[in-house]
Amino acid sequence: MSDVLTSSPALEARGLVRRFGRTVAVSDLSLSIAPGELYGLVGPDGAGKTTALRLLVGLLTPDGGEARVAGAVSHAAGGALRASLGYMPQQYSLYGDLSIDENLRFFGDLFGLSSTNFRERVAHLLGITQLTRFRDRRADALSGGMYKKLALACALLHRPRALVLDEPTNGVDPVSRRELWELLYTLVDEGLAVLLATPYMDEAARCHRVGLLQGGRLIAEDAPAALVRAFEDLAYFVTAADRDAAEAALHDLPGVRALSPHGPGLRVIVAAADAEAFRRRFASADMRWHLEPTAPDFEDVFLMRSIDAE
Amino acid sequence: MSAPVLARFSGAVRRTRAIALKEFRHMARDPQVVLLALAMPLVLILVFGYGVSFDVERVPLVVVDRDRTAESRALARAFTAAGTFDLVAVSDDEAAVEPLFRGGHAKVALVIPPDFQRAQGRGDTATAQLLVDGTDNATATIALGYAETIGLTLTQRDLPRGFDVPLRAEVRTLFNPALRSAVFIVPGLIVLVLVIVSVMLTALTVAREYERGSMEQLFATPVGRVELILGKLMPYFVLGLMQVLLVLVVGVYLFEVPLRGSVALIFVSASVFLLAELAFGLVISIVTRSQMVAAQVAAISTFLPALILSDFLFPIDNMPPPLRVVSSLLPPRYLVHALRAIMLRGNGVESVLPDLAAMGAFFIVMMVIATRKFRRTVA
Amino acid sequence: MPSEPETVVDVRGLTRRFGAFVAVNDVSFSVTRGEIFGYLGANGAGKSTTIRMLCGLLAPTDGRATVAGADIAREPGRVKRSIGYMSQKFSLYADLTVAENLDFYASAYALSGRLRAARMDEALELAGLADRRDALTRELPGGLRQRLALASALLHRPPVLFLDEPTAGVDPLARRAFWRVIRELARGGTTLFVTTHHLDEAELCHRVGMMVDGRLVALDTPAGLKATHVPGTMLSVGTGAGGEAGTRAVMAALAGMPGVHGWQPFGLRVHVRVDPELAGPGRLAARLAERGVATADVEATEAGLEDVFLALVRR
Repeated sequence: MSDVLTSSPALEARGLVRRFGRTVAVSDLSLSIAPGELYGLVGPDGAGKTTALRLLVGLLTPDGGEARVAGAVSHAAGGALRASLGYMPQQYSLYGDLSIDENLRFFGDLFGLSSTNFRERVAHLLGITQLTRFRDRRADALSGGMYKKLALACALLHRPRALVLDEPTNGVDPVSRRELWELLYTLVDEGLAVLLATPYMDEAARCHRVGLLQGGRLIAEDAPAALVRAFEDLAYFVTAADRDAAEAALHDLPGVRALSPHGPGLRVIVAAADAEAFRRRFASADMRWHLEPTAPDFEDVFLMRSIDAE
Repeated sequence: MSAPVLARFSGAVRRTRAIALKEFRHMARDPQVVLLALAMPLVLILVFGYGVSFDVERVPLVVVDRDRTAESRALARAFTAAGTFDLVAVSDDEAAVEPLFRGGHAKVALVIPPDFQRAQGRGDTATAQLLVDGTDNATATIALGYAETIGLTLTQRDLPRGFDVPLRAEVRTLFNPALRSAVFIVPGLIVLVLVIVSVMLTALTVAREYERGSMEQLFATPVGRVELILGKLMPYFVLGLMQVLLVLVVGVYLFEVPLRGSVALIFVSASVFLLAELAFGLVISIVTRSQMVAAQVAAISTFLPALILSDFLFPIDNMPPPLRVVSSLLPPRYLVHALRAIMLRGNGVESVLPDLAAMGAFFIVMMVIATRKFRRTVA
Repeated sequence: MPSEPETVVDVRGLTRRFGAFVAVNDVSFSVTRGEIFGYLGANGAGKSTTIRMLCGLLAPTDGRATVAGADIAREPGRVKRSIGYMSQKFSLYADLTVAENLDFYASAYALSGRLRAARMDEALELAGLADRRDALTRELPGGLRQRLALASALLHRPPVLFLDEPTAGVDPLARRAFWRVIRELARGGTTLFVTTHHLDEAELCHRVGMMVDGRLVALDTPAGLKATHVPGTMLSVGTGAGGEAGTRAVMAALAGMPGVHGWQPFGLRVHVRVDPELAGPGRLAARLAERGVATADVEATEAGLEDVFLALVRR
């Protein structure tokens, strides 16, 4: 506790529990995110990601445990919490009939920014989101990517210390998605703590740390590279123009744990213990396809951990 | 100590203003809503003023004169001369009445008994019978009123002890001698217009934020519950006062409704009523969280009481006791009472104070419920 | 009969304007029976507008198109009977049960009697919801809801199916399950027209069209698109334990390096498009080491459709 100032987490959950009726949506969830850290929460639909985020930002009251943002208890929802928190819900959260400027002005007033501070912030945020020339456009006339960037700008107006994003790139095209991510890195470099939920595994792999949520529980948590290193199975790539035939033929080979079409062929996950048998069978079974080992990626980790946990 | 308090207060004012400004912008972006809010009162006052007139004219009348004397003819003439009744048949047999009623050819029958003249000559009470088709309730009630008025005149002139005159008819006649419906409808119409448009819109406003998901974002800002509620009330409050102005202007200039009391007092009363009903609309919105449900609850719980339980169309005195209790718990009747007192009788503050107090109490209760029920959480 | 592939969707010079804005600009293509046709583009590039026209929901300003032999402008009714359409927005009723939703759509398509019962059972099977027919739709996870929406769009066995971002917000496991169904349908002869932002899904399409600002700027098989639009060799650089910081160090080192055409982060790795002389074993790793990035491992990789997409959109 001596080095409180340097090490105090920007976002923290301790033993969070939340039930809806008889279903336990979040169960004993603990996490801690430092300033300047980008943390990704991944998990299948219904794993409790949104509930976890809502508990952290104080939109839900926990049945057990406690969440804090910059030291302020989330569910008490006090002024300190709001001043240090930026939040972007999954759903459309801005006013479609108001312009970019009007939306920003509205949130600026709610956060009580002085007019010089506001002008400075808006100029900066519109600059980094490249929205300056669309200031007068109504929010519902923006493309999906631009809308998300505006929502992000609104959540950042008051210089929060922690930013919580619920599936920020849902429905956003790949180019805008990359732009949003570049933006996130800029913010993290400035010392912002970012917690986001995402269904995209390539995005999860680009976080500093990821937490894998399944059935409301955190079943794994580490740096993506470390999780990939700890991956015990082997990954192979089978080049096959006739993907369907290859899939059928490979399906029953020993050790095959997962098969999925991937680019111009199939990605195969094989249990390490059976790898030898698998390769032998592949060579002997008159398979006309080309097999080569490949590096496992984060999506492999996610898939196998999810399957194992089920 | 006072500086932080002041800072907090100015922050709250600013946030409230931001919410109100945003709501005004929503209105401006959707001019149909404002147009509807202003067109609705016009349509209603024209419909009620011209179309659904409660002035009863040319009520078909059948006279059954079994006396056939000068006196009986004088009575029949008195009824037909006023222009209210249209003589469709004369008979000397009461049996003729029922078929005429059934066929819809007549709604009122004046039955003069055979000994009418003789009784009058003897100085006894001369009684004539007035039969009214009870199936058309509104016409029947008002026709009776007219008949009583005519009977009253006759009593004063020719028939010393003719008809009894109930007190209610007397009161109405006093302040609305022509019995023109526009005069007593305008105060009721103000109430109706305010609940239809303003309360309905307020009921939708919070539910809309929940439905579109923006409430979640709002909760993550420092905006407080009271700030949000007051900010959301303000635009609809202004809109409501504009409606009052509109109805008053049209009522006074087009339908010559008297404006005997203070205009300021009318607006004060309307303001208190508006606050009470808007707060009610907010409670509906906060509890239902769905525009569809909110609209229906608002229609049932504000429109119907304003129409039925306000003394606007149906006299409260004639209601069964449970309905009278319900009526006394809701604001509409108080505003109807206050407006009639101010506009038609020219009464001052002292006579509407109880009404203002009742509506104010309703406002406070609704605000307490609204802030209590309005949690800053999503579930 | 020779095995000339049967054209199911035929689009010639299709154009749609909204005021001065040209949402779809002179687009032509055709889709054959049993084909999975991917339609990609940035938000607002005109994908949904095209689909709405092909479904007979929106009249074209210019050009013509036939879907299953019916002209979209003159016979929109016939078009609607021969297609299934699954929109971006969730098309089911959240407050109805699984069975009630299917029942509704079965009635909408005027199915009756034994056929209706059989189709509904098949739909439940297809959605993987046979044991949850009485579950409220809103309580299903997103992936299952999407499969139910797909199953209800298939109740009347349309020869053509339009899917507009069917897997937005769906987790990777559920997406795989969903695409398994789509490939199965194509094998059975259904023609599928799909838009998606997941470019790994686009790899599973037989052919892919790329829309940029209302124009169809490329149309080919995934392999053909890569060969045309991202030539050169694609290398994948990993940073070992470096994580995101390592990835960014690699990208910083690549800036201005001769022979490097472009790079994109892909998860934990960086995809680098290089001239042949840099492609030899160890060459890129050596160059990176010169610039202070020592831990990099470099392997050859296939260009992805995301590379194509980025190349076309940023052109």
